Amino acid sequence: MQVFLARFSAVILGIFLTASSLFAQRACTASLYGKTVDDHNGEPLSYSVISIAGTDKGAVTDENGAYRIEGICPGTYKVVCTHIGCDTLILRLKITGATRKDFFPEHHAEMLDDVSIVGRIPDAQSSRSETTLTEQELEESKGKTLGDLVKAVSGVTTINNGSSIAKPVIHGMHSNRVLILNNGVRQEGQQWGNEHGPEIDPFIADQLTVVKGANSVRYGTDAIAGVILVNPRPLRDSAGIGGEVNLVGFSNGRQGVVSAMVDGNFARVPALSWRAQGTFKRGGNVHAPTYFLDNSGIREYNFSLAGGYRTRKAGVEIFYSQFNTDIGIFTGAHIGNLTDLQRAFEAEEPLLPADFSYEIGRPYQRIEHELFKTEGYLRTGLLGKMTLTYARQYNLRLEYDKDEPRNDSIAALNRPELQFEITTHTANLAWEHYRRHGFKGTIGIAGIHQGNTYAGRYFIPNFLKSVAGIFITENWKLDSSRLELEAGARFDYVDQQAFRWENNVIVSPEFSYQNISWNVGAIYSLTDQLKVRFNAGSAWRPPGINELFSDGLHHGAAAVEIGDENLDPERSTSFSLSGEYQTERLQLNVDGYHHHFSNFVYLVPVLPPTLTIRGAFPTLHYKQLRAGLTGADFTLRWRITDRVNWTSKASMLRARNLDTEEFLVQMPADRFENTFEYRFKDGKFWRNGYISGTVLGVLRQWRVPPNSDFAPPPAGYTLLGLQLGFDVPVGQQAITCGVGMSNLLNASYRDYLNRFRYYTNEMGRNISFRLTVPFAILRPKTKSQLSPLPSKSISHLTQ
Amino acid sequence: MKKFFLTPALILFALALVVTGCKQDEDQPTLPPAVANEPEVITTLTLSFTDANNVQPDVAATFRDPDGDGGGGPDVFDNIELVANTTYNVAVTLLNETESPAEDVTVEILEENAEHLFCFVADGGSNITVTRTDTDGTFEVGLQSQWVTGAASTGNIVVTLKHQPDGLKDGTCTPGETDIEVDFPLIIN
Repeated sequence: MQVFLARFSAVILGIFLTASSLFAQRACTASLYGKTVDDHNGEPLSYSVISIAGTDKGAVTDENGAYRIEGICPGTYKVVCTHIGCDTLILRLKITGATRKDFFPEHHAEMLDDVSIVGRIPDAQSSRSETTLTEQELEESKGKTLGDLVKAVSGVTTINNGSSIAKPVIHGMHSNRVLILNNGVRQEGQQWGNEHGPEIDPFIADQLTVVKGANSVRYGTDAIAGVILVNPRPLRDSAGIGGEVNLVGFSNGRQGVVSAMVDGNFARVPALSWRAQGTFKRGGNVHAPTYFLDNSGIREYNFSLAGGYRTRKAGVEIFYSQFNTDIGIFTGAHIGNLTDLQRAFEAEEPLLPADFSYEIGRPYQRIEHELFKTEGYLRTGLLGKMTLTYARQYNLRLEYDKDEPRNDSIAALNRPELQFEITTHTANLAWEHYRRHGFKGTIGIAGIHQGNTYAGRYFIPNFLKSVAGIFITENWKLDSSRLELEAGARFDYVDQQAFRWENNVIVSPEFSYQNISWNVGAIYSLTDQLKVRFNAGSAWRPPGINELFSDGLHHGAAAVEIGDENLDPERSTSFSLSGEYQTERLQLNVDGYHHHFSNFVYLVPVLPPTLTIRGAFPTLHYKQLRAGLTGADFTLRWRITDRVNWTSKASMLRARNLDTEEFLVQMPADRFENTFEYRFKDGKFWRNGYISGTVLGVLRQWRVPPNSDFAPPPAGYTLLGLQLGFDVPVGQQAITCGVGMSNLLNASYRDYLNRFRYYTNEMGRNISFRLTVPFAILRPKTKSQLSPLPSKSISHLTQ
Repeated sequence: MKKFFLTPALILFALALVVTGCKQDEDQPTLPPAVANEPEVITTLTLSFTDANNVQPDVAATFRDPDGDGGGGPDVFDNIELVANTTYNVAVTLLNETESPAEDVTVEILEENAEHLFCFVADGGSNITVTRTDTDGTFEVGLQSQWVTGAASTGNIVVTLKHQPDGLKDGTCTPGETDIEVDFPLIIN
């Protein structure tokens, strides 16, 4: 019965797809071919349906599991593989030339026991709000910082220090409350600092996903507000050598970015793949609408190497990346005391006039980040898969003050005034079991060891940190039910020991914390179009080392920040409720959320101000309070006609200190963004052409506690943007071109979350030009020789 | 053809191994640097007053914050107590007392006097006139000054040191960055 049904449905679909593909455009010559193979026993799977979402193209695998789809326009598509009794596989795939992709559907464990189940079972979904940037959003943001990229997700914004340092803010929270997973590894640097941007080359990201809401169960402490997943392109699994070159130029700052990637797979040893990637970036002083910002340039060079040997049963991948940057800090934002700040704030223009220059002088930051990762997997019979990951990260941060030391001999050494070095080892062992009796899940252990040293000015002490965690997550879904459930729990033990001088004696206080995170969720499909997701959970994080120990004048903040060694772990209890309505033309997402915090760590102004030889500075103490953050994010994507699209995003947040019933400082204001897009008909020389206009409106953040700031929050603002993009087909490849304009009207404005808002307007009009040129050094043979069987990629096969 | 495949891959892996061994950290968090302070700070400002006519006794007023910005507050913060209707010659001394022995920052300021300016601004109620008496060749500096007191009064005087590098110095207190700003109580008896 089961087999008959599978064949019948597949044949019907096959006929339909073949018929419709007759009308495909002749200019589109790319093809997709490959095999579907049972993930458990390596047997070819016939009657699997491979379809390309958003097109009418598809195919059904033959008795050898092989399929072939012809006449595809080069581009990136969502490819769906369904096979009866298996979880559906969905992945994004760039199809140029003859592209090979093999699929490895997992039969549910029951199926292997010959228990008959009829129907299609989707892959496990998340009950949280997860947003993956579209190919077009990634393309339009090329050359920008990682923080600026994730801003495309509603509910996500950035906290900035000028134009080059942008930290992602999810639901009003950042730094120690947002976790970034770079290639599956927790990014560990000096992320506690507001002025420390993520040390990641955005060009590594082939896929960028933002998980809003606590996800501590899977990823460990600190993931209180959300997680940003930066996934590199999967290793190539079709024979050949190819790659792409990206060129981006920005008019503002006269910034140029070159990024290139080459990857290869061996026809003779199909299990062996490799990839190399590198980025070089250089920009000069940026221009606000009426003046240049002195010393606001940037230099960056990054590279990464990856290799993998992967068979169906087991495999290993190695990844190495380096990120190096020098970031000039706008000199006008460097102040000696509050009198200087007041003067800078009151001035119409920066007190120090500047011209264009690529030179980066003091003050500046120099940052190096190095990641080495190795990951191995092993299939454990028919039950599941074991993955072991080890990573080492090294992060060096040097901060140079505006002025050299007065003493000439010390100045000659040109040492940074502030230096941090942090080394982190992380290891994870996870065992994932396939769906059985409706259950699919992962169980795992994780460990972290970290050491931090500093030199120069004291801000945080040397420390050692060790973390051990154990977790389990399970997802339940029966084929026939509209309900999907998930639950997870995790236990973490964190030990931190600081080392510092106190009255000429080294003291080394030690802090241990242990706690549990948990999470439950449900997804209910009311109809095929309408889905409701609910998630509830509790997460925690130990107090950060800066929150325990910082003690001194924070020059960036013009305040004396004092830590508290007696802080307790921060705990959040969060609820989210999302609705998703999706038809062929319309997609509507509404996410509502509430985070309740006990022991929310927060800088509270304390009297009296701290008297120094430079005058009095506000004194801020790290204290703990109850906080409530409630908000909603909204996204609408509507294909009004085949040519006209409308995208609308909005996010709103209310954040309160529940102890005093005041608002919390530094929370993003309400944002609204509307984009209208017109897609051109494909011409002889271009394809996928579009032009779009965006209106971004940000309201004034008036919800601030009284007397909490040096200056009132700036006015709201409206910005216009324009994007133009198209592909030029060249042979079997396509060159992607784009032009972007931000702040089209050259408006002068300031953003509440930019810490340089006391000193300068934001960047003026910026025009960018983008070019992506794919190339193939060695093409695979166009005839589908399916005998050698490349393996499936480890990372993000399923979304 | 197949060799062509293998060579770059082998080179890559070799490279990866070499580079991985590259960056060594000093992994000794248990030993923080002994001097845990800002590389260069001014901890102490002293104004030394001598009567130009050698009649009234010498006076000194000090602001001293021995651990620099933050941490403990100032341990010495004197009033300036002067005699009415007197002309004082005033010298400024700056020290960095986080070093041992204390470093005389006055010397550094003198070396870079073209980039520095002291300003003395008394509030309206104080009967005092302050004139800088030294020069960097173009503009005044203020390490030396003359304070002429009038009738008895009580008020405040703000002593500021501005750092005005890169040709910013124009003889006024407006440009540059503030290195010192101490608001001394000023009592004229």
